[in-house]
Amino acid sequence: MKIPASVLTQLKKIAGEDRVLTDDVSLSLYAYDCSLSRTRPDALINVARAQDVAPILRVLYQHHIPFVPRASATNHAGSCAALNGGVILNLAGLNRILQINTQEGYAVAEACAITGDLQDRLAPLGFFYAPDPASERVSTLGGNLAQNASGARCMKYGGTIDHVLEADFVLPDGKEIHFSREQLGPDWIGLLAGSEGTLGVITRVKVRILPAAKHIKTFLVTFPSLAASVQTVSDLAAQGIIPRCVEAMDCVTTRAVEEFAHAGYPLDAQALLILELDGSPSQIAEQEKRLEEICLANGAQKFIPAKTEAERQKLWFGRRAAYAAMARLAPNVMVGDGTVPRSELPRALGKVRRILDENHIFASLLFHAGDGNFHPQIVFDERNKLETVRVTRALKEILQACVDCGGTVSGEHGVGVEKRAVMAYQYDKQTLDLFSAIKRAADPQNLANPLKLLPIDYAEKARVLPAPSEKVQRLAKEISSRRASHLPCTVLGLNTRLKTHAKQGISSKDLRQIVEIDKTNYTATAEAGVRVKDLLAALKKENVFCALPSDAGTLGGAFCSGCVPGFYPHVLGVEALLPDGSFVRYGGKLMKNAAGYHLTRLFAGSQGTLGLVTQLTFKIFATPVPAARKEAFALAQENAWWRALKEQLDPERLFAPLAGENHD
Amino acid sequence: MTEFYVRELDPQHTKLHLKTLQTPFGERNVYDSVSFCNRCASCQQACPTYCLTAEETFSPRGRNQAVRLVTEGKINLNKNRLLLEKMVNSCLLCGRCTQSCAGKIPTAQHMLEMRRALGKRALPRLLQGLLECRAKKPRLFARVVNLGMWLRSWGVLYVGRKLGLARLPGLSWISYADDILPRGTWRKEQKSWRSQLAASPEKPTLVYMPSLEAEFFTPSLAERVLQLAQAKHRVQVWSNTSAGLFEYVYGDLRQSRKSLRALIQRWERNGALPLLTDSIDVYIFLQQAPQLFAQWPKWKDKTSRLAGKIRFVTDVMPKKASSSAQGKARLDLGSLFTREGEPFESARKILRTQFKKNFVECLYKDADAPAFGYSFVRHNMGQRVLMDAVRSAARTQTGTVFTLSGLSALELNFYLKQFYPYAKADHLARLNG
Repeated sequence: MKIPASVLTQLKKIAGEDRVLTDDVSLSLYAYDCSLSRTRPDALINVARAQDVAPILRVLYQHHIPFVPRASATNHAGSCAALNGGVILNLAGLNRILQINTQEGYAVAEACAITGDLQDRLAPLGFFYAPDPASERVSTLGGNLAQNASGARCMKYGGTIDHVLEADFVLPDGKEIHFSREQLGPDWIGLLAGSEGTLGVITRVKVRILPAAKHIKTFLVTFPSLAASVQTVSDLAAQGIIPRCVEAMDCVTTRAVEEFAHAGYPLDAQALLILELDGSPSQIAEQEKRLEEICLANGAQKFIPAKTEAERQKLWFGRRAAYAAMARLAPNVMVGDGTVPRSELPRALGKVRRILDENHIFASLLFHAGDGNFHPQIVFDERNKLETVRVTRALKEILQACVDCGGTVSGEHGVGVEKRAVMAYQYDKQTLDLFSAIKRAADPQNLANPLKLLPIDYAEKARVLPAPSEKVQRLAKEISSRRASHLPCTVLGLNTRLKTHAKQGISSKDLRQIVEIDKTNYTATAEAGVRVKDLLAALKKENVFCALPSDAGTLGGAFCSGCVPGFYPHVLGVEALLPDGSFVRYGGKLMKNAAGYHLTRLFAGSQGTLGLVTQLTFKIFATPVPAARKEAFALAQENAWWRALKEQLDPERLFAPLAGENHD
Repeated sequence: MTEFYVRELDPQHTKLHLKTLQTPFGERNVYDSVSFCNRCASCQQACPTYCLTAEETFSPRGRNQAVRLVTEGKINLNKNRLLLEKMVNSCLLCGRCTQSCAGKIPTAQHMLEMRRALGKRALPRLLQGLLECRAKKPRLFARVVNLGMWLRSWGVLYVGRKLGLARLPGLSWISYADDILPRGTWRKEQKSWRSQLAASPEKPTLVYMPSLEAEFFTPSLAERVLQLAQAKHRVQVWSNTSAGLFEYVYGDLRQSRKSLRALIQRWERNGALPLLTDSIDVYIFLQQAPQLFAQWPKWKDKTSRLAGKIRFVTDVMPKKASSSAQGKARLDLGSLFTREGEPFESARKILRTQFKKNFVECLYKDADAPAFGYSFVRHNMGQRVLMDAVRSAARTQTGTVFTLSGLSALELNFYLKQFYPYAKADHLARLNG
């Protein structure tokens, strides 16, 4: 599409005469990111001020022109390619760190402040920002949020989603919204995480900063097989040892690294782990002893602690050089990021190796073992069309193998355009429909980064998943029949918080089963109507613990009421019935999932306005963990996005209405 | 990579271009070399021009992709000449991107190839002509420069600037040159340096080839380097000798090869002695010079031998600490093409030995002075980069910034004097001197 001259003039008035470009060279240079996708936009706007974003979007909205927000464009999924043409919003100029407050533990920055710059500023103050994507030297805070990036420290500290406290956001129609973790209602920031610019533009973020660990100890452990290394990680979690980082690599990676970086990795091992502990010296000493025992019990060949800071840095230098070691071998490195439940890692890795061998592809395997997230690094030359086809086919097969192992197609890189087709392999139609509804609610004209994240024409291709349990089917029927008769569907658990007198409720009283307590992956799955007291007792019986506070209500109530926001990061999977009676499922035993919008965060604190949560999967621990803080129940304040979502999902307003005061 | 059709950036004029580039992973033609960029963006934040503009057009990734797209015929060189020139000439050729790149993509070399394909001189015409004259008519060049400096010392340039002559088109570089060059002692220093030149030792063991800026503008630096070298060697000085670097960066590659051949022949005639330079740019250029002769194996071998005999001032500097150094010091890594290698390590080691805890390690994004006359090409951008270098000196409360080339020291000193007079910049050779 060609952008009319009058529109360009309007845009120039807002952004500045020399900041709106349509020349060949500029457009060609904004056609790519780190993936293979390449599509030229019709115009480029170099945004210099955050306050320009909203007026620019209003002009684009008025003229139905699509746009793609772009930060450092380091993603591996093609999220920054302007597939429908339109405008690229180059936000890289919004890169100022505005405030660092060590007293209250936060930093405020414009969306494209470089993550590594923030780390550099925090280090002398004795603080750090926990998310550490490998690209932190170039990637941005806003970009990290849009992709929900994470890194080696994710096992202990979580990904970007858990460290953003506030965000300024502009919807595609130019409406500005301020999201804060203080607000009740759905976890909007959680929903933005991994949205890849398909919902709007992030312009400013406030992130949590943490005091840096004073004592850190790093270990290099070698194993005779990948399976042994993965089993070690599972055993560590089972023993309640959560290392600060758990990184693993196979022998192909080790050899490539040694040739390139000479990090001192033993070459005779099939797999190696880099483990890092932090805490007080006595804690580290105690954990080190147990760590060594577990490693040796799993057949570890060598257990080498880094004795000095220089040795520690050398170990990490090798790990960081893993990408570089492969990048020098061929022009292109395609990095996959499938994620599976930790217990499935050996099986998934076996499948991956077989797929690579069958396709005659040279690749190394590198993984964040603690999260079940692995990165096959495939080297090839994109100029060789046949090889490129083979590589993309193999990557697709690898991602499908992940899904077959109960995993996801993306743990931290996002979906973009390159993985959108396999989204239909992972999710069923109803869940993909819900993703579409979320997109439509924020962006009814489909202008924000169109054609990303969701597969095209998925109705027939979408995965067919087994029907839900009879109890859930009965509830679905009840919702449908009430809908047909226009009867309200107030969601009720034990009615401990809402204290409603409504008799026309949909009750979760039949959903009282604790489905599974998985002590391999350290997850528990329970239906929403399970009493929290009963759940905690059952967990205690199994000698495991969770972060839920003892409560009079149900699990679903605790999650959806918004009273325990500290529990949200612990929830890994959700199953729910929507107001139209359709059944959706998202996540599961996965420690990371960057495929699609975070549905767990949509239902968290939604107070029954968007549907009925039927089942949750959440993290459990081998040792007691502090319970998340419990807050008094209050009706959440609505906002423009919530209203739009409600309109999409529950146009007849049969579920709980948005009762809070207007708060845009 | 040989299975692909090797595309040329400028197929009509292959002799104006390098056939292959020297990379840490072997020799590659330009198309292969540029194709090794997988757009990971690791280089972006290392690039001073990207940090200043936040635009892909002024980033290493953007520059590499532009070369690739032009080579593949996806961007028309002639139709987009103006923009491509802007992009190419904005590159500092500093090699910070190569340092941070996993595949060690030589972006600076790609930019030079593109500059050659565009066939456009980046420098003002008069300055270009004057510097071209150095290789072709060195005596005339020496006379013109010395005359200029002599007139300057008598205030003629000052009067000219007051009358607004420097504001005439194409002459603004004279103002900048006048600003950065030291005042006052030039005639005395020149006299002393000439007296050194007169004395030539018997059976020399080392040849010192002073850089243009050391010999003509800061003779005291040339004298200091000579003094350092004489501590260990019998030194012969090759005055006003062009190695072909200027032509390599700003001019015709054929002239650069010619100058280099002349240098090699002279070097062989004189017993192939180690060749000392005070300019890191010349050192790196001669190290990489074999790539200029990819089509001529005989000359390539000779150039490789010459590259093996190149020495930098760090090789003749005393390794022991002296008690005279005070305050904090940092090393400015401003150079052409790369920031990695033996001289940089040695320089760091020397300063660390000397200043111990007062040696300031630079951060990843700390700016360095732009190398090899960049500020004469893109004055505005050069000024901003230099200001960033001043800021990082101020942030670390550095007292002395040591550079590895005389020109960088001159430029940086000018800005430090104005904006952070607590610090000064000097060539590393002047440490304790």
